[in-house]
Amino acid sequence: MIMTCFVLLYTGMEKIDAAVAELREMDDLAALESPVHSLHPLAKLLTTFIYIFVTVSFDKYDLSGLIVMLVYPVLMFQASGIKMSTCFYKLRIVLPLVCAVGLFNPFFDKAPMLSIGALTVSGGVISMITLMMKGVFSLMASFIFVSTTSLDAICAALRKIHIPSVIVTLLLLTFRYVTVMMEEVSVMTTAYMLRAPGQKGINYKAWGSFLGQLLLRSMDRSEELYSSMLLRGFNGEFSYADVPKGRLADWLFTIAASVLFFVFRYVNVAELLGNIIMRG
Amino acid sequence: MIRFDHVSIEYEKGKRVLDDISFEIRDGESVGLIGANGAGKSTVMKSLLGLIPHEGSITVDGLEVYKENLSQVRKKLGLVLQNSDNQMFMPTVLEDIMFGLLNYGMSREEAEKKADGILSKLGLEDLKYRHNHKLSGGEKRMAAIATVLAMEPDAVLMDEPTSALDPYNRRIIIDTIRGMNITKIITSHDLDMIMDTCSRVILLSGGRVAADGDADVILRDKELLESKRLELPLSLQTR
Amino acid sequence: MHMADALLAPAVAATMYVASGAATGISINKIRKEDDSKKIPTMAVTAALVFAGQMINYTIPGTGSSGHMCGGMLLSALLGPEAGFLSMVVILAIQCLFFADGGLMALGANCWNMAFYGCFVGYYLIWKPIMRSKWFGGMEKKAAARLKIMIASILGCVLTLQLGAFSVVLETTLSGITELPFKAFLLLMQPIHLAIGLVEGLVTSAVLLFVFESRPELLGEVDCDNLGLTQKRSLKTTLVILAVVVALVGGGLSLFASSNPDGLEWALFGNAEAGYSENMGLDEDDFGIKSDAADKAEEIQEGIAILPDYGFKDSDSAAGTTVSGLVGSAAVAVFTLLLCMLGRFFKHRKAK
Repeated sequence: MIMTCFVLLYTGMEKIDAAVAELREMDDLAALESPVHSLHPLAKLLTTFIYIFVTVSFDKYDLSGLIVMLVYPVLMFQASGIKMSTCFYKLRIVLPLVCAVGLFNPFFDKAPMLSIGALTVSGGVISMITLMMKGVFSLMASFIFVSTTSLDAICAALRKIHIPSVIVTLLLLTFRYVTVMMEEVSVMTTAYMLRAPGQKGINYKAWGSFLGQLLLRSMDRSEELYSSMLLRGFNGEFSYADVPKGRLADWLFTIAASVLFFVFRYVNVAELLGNIIMRG
Repeated sequence: MIRFDHVSIEYEKGKRVLDDISFEIRDGESVGLIGANGAGKSTVMKSLLGLIPHEGSITVDGLEVYKENLSQVRKKLGLVLQNSDNQMFMPTVLEDIMFGLLNYGMSREEAEKKADGILSKLGLEDLKYRHNHKLSGGEKRMAAIATVLAMEPDAVLMDEPTSALDPYNRRIIIDTIRGMNITKIITSHDLDMIMDTCSRVILLSGGRVAADGDADVILRDKELLESKRLELPLSLQTR
Repeated sequence: MHMADALLAPAVAATMYVASGAATGISINKIRKEDDSKKIPTMAVTAALVFAGQMINYTIPGTGSSGHMCGGMLLSALLGPEAGFLSMVVILAIQCLFFADGGLMALGANCWNMAFYGCFVGYYLIWKPIMRSKWFGGMEKKAAARLKIMIASILGCVLTLQLGAFSVVLETTLSGITELPFKAFLLLMQPIHLAIGLVEGLVTSAVLLFVFESRPELLGEVDCDNLGLTQKRSLKTTLVILAVVVALVGGGLSLFASSNPDGLEWALFGNAEAGYSENMGLDEDDFGIKSDAADKAEEIQEGIAILPDYGFKDSDSAAGTTVSGLVGSAAVAVFTLLLCMLGRFFKHRKAK
């Protein structure tokens, strides 16, 4: 029974504690230094958006065209010194859903698209693969953005493009309290499980009080938080860290990268390359 | 500088949390506010900040704690909460210290200079760029004190400043408190700490002032303390 | 229900950004007009709590599926629809940025599917009308309010999740991502989210009822003055009502801290993961059917099962679960062995 207890504890807290660890890891990564880290946050955000936009806009059968898009995230990973493997850990969330949606394609779309010798590949298979690639690529791009930019910098950048202060402040404050709250949930789960050995989870009788208690306590917490803000002259407006003005290099980076993305989008570089090699 | 004149507070009808309390705290005094759980310590703190309505009169530097005066009153006071997480709401220590300064119209450079000053005064230079959610308990408490002291308040209210700290960090906090030359009101169950930091003690019980006087006298009065569900400070207990 | 970037065509993603952006703008305006500087810290702390609360999954026995509490209804009942919506947007943004749960470009769609319906539709179409209605007029006021809270949260969660699931299907199909016919996709998604919505509704109502009992002034549209809040007798009654509903819905649903895939994945994967139901500790064929054999099997299973769902850290795959099952069994074996030795050890001591 003690064993059961232990295992319960483990499963109950695992998810929350893993999430806390994940947040801290991202924080550590963003604190590193590299050319990518020092890029202007807004330039990075924009480039990432354009990259994802272009990537998902590829035709669902355009496998060879899409593959070239891999160049950008790989280069960024290399330049930032962040290991690519840290990002694939997150694929467990993105991939299942993307794969699942794509998995039906081979069954519905059986028209042959490509034949290599005796092997015929249907359109469905290709569209499934491109879909997965789009999922992985866009994850890589957003990961490189988040892991090289601290949330404060992201928020400052958001203020620069006139995202209303209400939402940016809220983002900043919420993020600050996410870890605090997760720790509380984790502790409460432990306390519950220790007194309810043999239960698979929280009994429905405690559904309301479990989260409700926390909720009421967090209301008190926000009361304290608010009073300590008032005491320091809070008047409803937050001031943010200054973002250094974008250097010319930052904007050159964004422009060059975007031009490259669109070139990749409209010129099939892979095919071109293939042709050159075949001819040569 | 702080005056409570026949102050009463009821949360619910007929349930008085504070019952006709009067005392005066002079400039520069260090006062320990002690009493059992539920004696009304935190209510005194909250009412002083104007967070709950009261009957009677509370004044800070002659200013009535009342709606129109609140922002002026609050400017004079600093509050160190028991749970530092609740007052360190900015991402980094530096941002947190600067938060209040910027709100009072200081420029960024000035504010940062000031933050540097307070950090070096407390010996916390290392914490400057650290993230709040990664500080240890002791670091968090010290940083919270820094955020409050940076505002240069006339009086500081501290709620259990040494709770949940190890002996080393507790000692650091005590030394820090002793080094602050401003009016201090400290609530705590850590009577040894009160002994080390306060010259005067106000003992609350059931919402009333049970004793008010020299710390040395009250904290040595075994009978009085025990009748109010407290004990002698550990250092005075003889076996 | 979080959609990844790859599931959306740029045009659809952009449209959803515009839609969610408009809702955000309206909400911000409302918050600014209220001009209550206390609102922001309250929203932030509540949002952080809901974020953490979402980590607890509610498994629905018999399907192997689980839904997390989405939180839209809960937040809008506590903070009001506009503040609730903004809090949800922030939660979704953090999930997207730091946990890769939902893509950066799909954020607009995710906000719409999960926050807009839950907060605006849920509040204005369900919560507000029901809470203001004169239903159960014959009953004592407090009991009536309690019933209304329950009905509103369950109905609200079910409806808003249905709308959300429908939108996911619509957006994916419009994006031309999947070859799966619209109707088939819909048939996969809606029923699953019905079950999830019910569970979410029950959890939400349980939490809101708790808040109602302890601090009713926190809830929107609850008329505190007319409730006569001095009487405090019937948490029990509420629990009984709740228990009846719970029994009706799932035959004793309980909450598990589980690591099951959420409903959207389930709908697409089906129950294909081998050994999944066994690992859940449920025999699907026998579920709900009372037979001697089933009882017996359950008994045996309860006797030998260590714990239904645990795998290696962060592995949801069937393989992971089996490996962990093996490791777990080995650990139990070692542990029991140790226990045996410990028992003997004590006996020796006593004998001395």
